[in-house]
This record gives sequence, C-alpha cells and structure tokens, in this order.
Amino acid sequence: MRSIGVVVILAVAIALSISMLIARDAVNTKINSVRASTGTTITVTPKGFFGFSGGGTPLTTTEVNGLLNLKNVTAVQESLSEELSSNDTSLTSPTPAGSLGQRFGGSNPGGSSASAPTFTIAIRLIGTNSPGNALVGGANGGGTEKLTSGASFSPTSDSDVALVGQTLATKNKLKVGSTFTAFGKTITVVGIYNSGSTFANSDVLMPLATVQTLASASGQVTNATVVVNNISNVSSVTKAVTAALGSKADVTSTEATVASELAPLNSIKTISTYTLFGAIIGAAIILLLSMLMIVRERRREVGVLKALGAPNRSIIGQFIAESTTFTVLGSVVGFIVGILLSSPITSALVSATSNSSSATPAFTGGGFVRAGGGGFRGGGSGFTPPPGGQFARTGDFHFGGVSNTLTTLHTSVGSSTLIFAFVIALVIAALGSSVAVATIVRIRPAEVLRSE
Amino acid sequence: MLKVENLNKTFHTRAGDIHAVQNVTFSADNGEMVAIVGASGSGKSTLLALLGLLDAPDQGSIDLDGVELANLDAGGRTKYRSHQVGFVFQQFNLIPNLSARENVLLPLEYARWPKADRVRRADEMLALVGLTGEKSERRPTRLSGGEQQRVAIARAFAAKPQLILADEPTGSLDKSTGQKIVEILRSAASTEGATVLVVTHDEKIAQQADRRLEIDDGVLSEVA
Repeated sequence: MRSIGVVVILAVAIALSISMLIARDAVNTKINSVRASTGTTITVTPKGFFGFSGGGTPLTTTEVNGLLNLKNVTAVQESLSEELSSNDTSLTSPTPAGSLGQRFGGSNPGGSSASAPTFTIAIRLIGTNSPGNALVGGANGGGTEKLTSGASFSPTSDSDVALVGQTLATKNKLKVGSTFTAFGKTITVVGIYNSGSTFANSDVLMPLATVQTLASASGQVTNATVVVNNISNVSSVTKAVTAALGSKADVTSTEATVASELAPLNSIKTISTYTLFGAIIGAAIILLLSMLMIVRERRREVGVLKALGAPNRSIIGQFIAESTTFTVLGSVVGFIVGILLSSPITSALVSATSNSSSATPAFTGGGFVRAGGGGFRGGGSGFTPPPGGQFARTGDFHFGGVSNTLTTLHTSVGSSTLIFAFVIALVIAALGSSVAVATIVRIRPAEVLRSE
Repeated sequence: MLKVENLNKTFHTRAGDIHAVQNVTFSADNGEMVAIVGASGSGKSTLLALLGLLDAPDQGSIDLDGVELANLDAGGRTKYRSHQVGFVFQQFNLIPNLSARENVLLPLEYARWPKADRVRRADEMLALVGLTGEKSERRPTRLSGGEQQRVAIARAFAAKPQLILADEPTGSLDKSTGQKIVEILRSAASTEGATVLVVTHDEKIAQQADRRLEIDDGVLSEVA
C-alpha cells in the first residue's frame, strides 16, 4: 500500500514536470517563431518624418553609410521618397482618392468631402540602392517587390530608368521599354513589379542617385533599413544606431514591439521553468524520504543480511532496484498523465497570463492597412465597423496579427522531451537511492542484532 | 576446530570503559555443541559478535581450522562469514518477503555456490529440519515459531559453515518446541560436522550440550 502511495506521489510530480516541460517547449517554439518572423532589420527615418505627412530634415548618405561600420550590421539599404504630382509627370495615379483621400489629402482636410474640389493622389517615387527590398516595412510600407516582367536596375546605377508597380503600369498602359516623364526627364521602364500591396504597386522605383539628381536632393536620404546579422543583436544595434545618429533620426525595430507582445509568453516560460524544477526536486525529495523510511524500517533486515555474509553492494543493489522500480512506475504513469494534461495546462497558463495582461491592446504588433490605404496620403474608403463596434479581423495585414496568434500554442512531445524525461527519472532515482546507500553502508549488524 | 585465545573487547562510553570480553580462551571441536550461559549483560552477545566476525576484537586470536580470523578487515570478515559462519537468532530474523526456501537460498548465493546446486542444497537442509513440500514455499508469516526457527537453522547450515552461532535459539519458543529445536541443532551439527556454540540461559538446554561454558562480566570459565 505504501509502495503504491509512493508511486502515485511520484507520478503526480513527474506528470507536473512533464506538463511544464511540454508547456515550456511550446512557449519557446512560439517565441522563437514570432521573433524569427520579425526579421533582423531596423528602420531609420529623419526625426518627425512619416511618409509625406510628417516633417523633419533628410539624413545624408554619409551619415547613413557610417552605420555600416557598426558591429553586427551587414547592410544598409537607403531610399529617398519624392512625390510626383500631375505637374511633375506624364503618369496618372491609379489610386482612387476615395473618401479617405478626399478627407486627408483634399483641400478640405478634416471636413466633409462633399464640397471639396476633385483631389488626385500623387504618385510616390522612391529612389533606392536596394531594388527588391525598397518597399519592405518602415515608411515605405509594402512587401518585397517581385518582378513580373523586365529586369531590375543596378543598386549603384544613376541611369534614367525605373521599375513601376503593376497597378500603375496597368493604369498607364506601361510595358518594359515604355517611357514616361518625371521632373522633365524621360524615364525608361525596365521592369514591372508586384509587391502585394495596392498602394505600393502604384509606386515608381528608380536608382537612388537618379532621384537625388532629379529632385535636387543630392546626398539626401529619407529612409534607411539597417540589416543586422542576428535577431539577438537587433536590440543592441538599435541602441548603437540611435547613439550614432542622435536626435536627427527616429530609429525603430519591430523587435521592441514584439518584446512587449512576448512578455506574457515569457512569463509563462518562467513559471513553467520554475514549476518544472520544483516538481523534479519535489519528486526527488519524496523518493529520498520514502527510501530513508524504508531503509530505517528494514534496518534489522539489512543487519541480518550482512550477518549472513551479504556484501554491501548486494544489499545496496537490492534497494536501488526498489527505488528504480518506484521511479520507473511513477515515470511511466506520470509521463502518460503529463502528456494528457500538457495541453489543458498550457491553455490555462496562457489564459491566466492573457487575462492578467488584458490592458495590452489586441493588435499592438503593428497596424493593419486597408486595401489601397497608405497612411494619410492614400485613398480608399473607411471600414464599416461590425455590430458592437469591434473591428473585424480582415483586410490586408502588412505587419501585425502578432497578439492574435500568441495564444495559439501547439504542444507536442519531441525526442528532447523523452530524453529529458529519462534524465529526470535517472536523477530522481539516483537522489532517492543515494540516501538508502549511505544509510545501508553505515548499518553495523552487531549493533542491530545486539538490540534484540 | 575453533581455538580462541586471550580475546578482549572494550567499549568506550561516556560513563567509562566497559570490558565486555576479557581474556577469553577456549576451544571447540568440529561437530561439538558447546553451551555458553550467563546473565544478561555478562558479555554473551559481544562474544558471539566477535566469534561471528560481526565485530573486531581489540586483542586476541580466533583460529578456525587453522585460519586466523581476528585480524581480517571488514571485507575479509564479510567474505569469511558468508562461507564459514552460520547464525541462528532468538527472533528467527527470516526475510519476510521471501519464502522458506528463498531464505535458505540466501547464504548459498552469498557464498557463491553453483546455481545448479543451490536449490538441491536448500531442499536438503529443509528436509533435515523437517520442512518439506508446500511448507518450503510459505513465507515466514505463514509458519509457526518453531517452523520459522527450523528454517533459520536450515539457513544457518546451508552453506556448510564450520561455525554455527545460536543466540538464545529457544527463547521465543515453548519448552516442547525448544527441545525439538535443540535436538535439530545437535543433529545438524553432527551431520554437517560443524562446531555449534549456543548462548542460552536455559539450564535444560545447556545440559544437552557436549560442554558448558559460563561467562560473567566478560570472563569465560568452563563448568564441569
């Protein structure tokens, strides 16, 4: 009966430790997955600059190129954004102004669009030394541009060439080889791209040096993306970039945002780690005390066996076998129960932690942008809130939806869990047996039998 | 043959030194049964512990068939005990979760008898003490006191030791059963050719021995 009790208590402790191990693994996997998805880039923009709505003084190529000397920085992608109004280009903007465009960019900002004159969305011209990544994240807000026809230009080119977005090309019937004018110059289309965003597909991409010349903005940069060699170095490089550019620039990385999002998961990880080791230590202590009690109760038996000529190793082996049997039985039962309980325990931990941090907005991981929307200069129509006033989780996600997936954890039992469980069992058995061994060695048969 | 000369053992306690065994000298032949009588605290158990190699003497010699045992280290004492010494206790001290036969098999295992011979020898000894058939499969709790002591005697003689030490072997038994146990001990000693030392305070038991020794304050003397 006592043996069954010991096995049951051990099984509970091992089940708890296995559940915590699995929960910890699930949380760890999620944290790594989220961190990996945030990329290793840092966005640098002039202080106060936000698209064409903000202000600020442009950064210089010299300042931005200096960031290449920082430790762990592998590349710096630079861009200069300009607007092509209908007076500056032969192109027609494909983006309908819509009610948002009329409100934010029309002549009656903040008021009703009903009485405002017709407003045309300007075309964005981006000069870049990194064709292929010019639209990703930051102020340029788009996905990676993929060429659907033609070829890209060289990062160091200063030719009058351009890549145009698919939407813009369709609107203006542009093909590879077509020409258009910008700031009085004739520009040749060398490629057409698709970035996955309606707004970004209305852009024109040109070599950085060409745009600096056309816009009389020699050496100026409005956006830089610093590429870091490893996700773990993003935080330190962000600090180094901030220190290098001082008050001239706004330096942001998605890692900082994600870090606050991951705080609840990190709490779960900490709780599960402490509980895991607590359960292991608890199980070891239970077995240790049980074995101590068993050996003391059977002190006379040990004395008799020694009197019969049993060597210490033989008696010790017998007690280790008992201790190991308890541990193996407890481990098997505990492992099965632990696996069965891991999912509900993980859910309960996530739920409890989510509730305790409910002050955090649900979508702080990044805004989501309505199709055709591009900040205050984009067009499109406003969302119609669903009943209850809650935003529906639809629309084009540029970056975001971190929180809404954080509570979705998948528990699984991998080989590492099995190995860990085996090691746990070994440690518990070893600790439990050690006290039995020490006690057995000290028992002197003459004293035990004399007390008869 | 057992030869003991000038055996001494002193316990150092806070209350002072206790000379439990003092200059004990005696000898006993193979197959001989010797009774050692004495009052409680006279040093009987200490003498038995020294002769059974459960404890080391401070001084003196224990010679068993020409082998000096008094100076053996702990490992040597354990090894020699497993081969040459058998114990019979007042409380039987059988292992409760083992059957009668398994209890008798224990010393054969410790003495490293060939596996093929162990069961045969165990059954032979159980038969010698009158336990056969189903009773040899029973656990101690399902045997009477006399039967348990028979198992203990079978266990003591199993590995063919030269010396059997019996500490009050009839102390927990009624007179009739105790009488039978002494007869079994005597018979086994004769059959197996072992020297049997019986510690007892029962005069009738002592009178059945070949010789009688008396111990008082650790000093041993022969009683005529």
